[in-house]
Amino acid sequence: MSETMVEQAAPRARSAAGSFVACALAWLVPGLGHLYLGKKGRAAVFFLVVAATFGLGIASDGAASLIEERQPLTFLATFDNVAVGPFDLVGRYLTYGTIVYALPGEEGDPRRTRLVDRQRARVRSVTYEYGNTFLLTAGLMNLLLILDAFDIATGRKE
Amino acid sequence: MIRSHFLNMVVFSGLVAVFFAFLTQNDAKNRMRVVLILGGSMIVLSLVLAYVMYPFPIR
Repeated sequence: MSETMVEQAAPRARSAAGSFVACALAWLVPGLGHLYLGKKGRAAVFFLVVAATFGLGIASDGAASLIEERQPLTFLATFDNVAVGPFDLVGRYLTYGTIVYALPGEEGDPRRTRLVDRQRARVRSVTYEYGNTFLLTAGLMNLLLILDAFDIATGRKE
Repeated sequence: MIRSHFLNMVVFSGLVAVFFAFLTQNDAKNRMRVVLILGGSMIVLSLVLAYVMYPFPIR
């Protein structure tokens, strides 16, 4: 009897493909991985919280990061931005007017100059630091959600 | 766009607290407890830190 109860209480593990799908969905839309795993309430809250954090970041003139080879930390910041999924495309378009992930060319390249000018326009905003903090936090939250979806899918967590 | 530093901090703390409450807890009572403890401590500790730093000049 007690063994049966323990079996029922144990979280159900999914196949490797199921875990991968949960993680992919979690990246695609915040909370979608949890919805796929049957956690409807949590999924709704996670979507609202990450979307609100991202939205506040954009509204506060936060800027999506661009990779610049001479500044290694920009790789991490860009990775963090991308972790929020397709929302990041919106952020990049609103920041730069195009979808771009790295500063192109050398100093003096007109494409590079245009992107840097658009970035500087955001940096001059008084709320830029708040916006950037919100944007980066939204990315970190979604990274945690992907890992959480993986844990639930593999049966490590309920 | 929120321009108030304090209001930004309160909103940020609230969002992070709710996020971690739902990430780490499964029942409503424990979630509320985490929201209050985590959100409250983020705000209170920030104010304490700001107060401690007040006498130090910017440059």
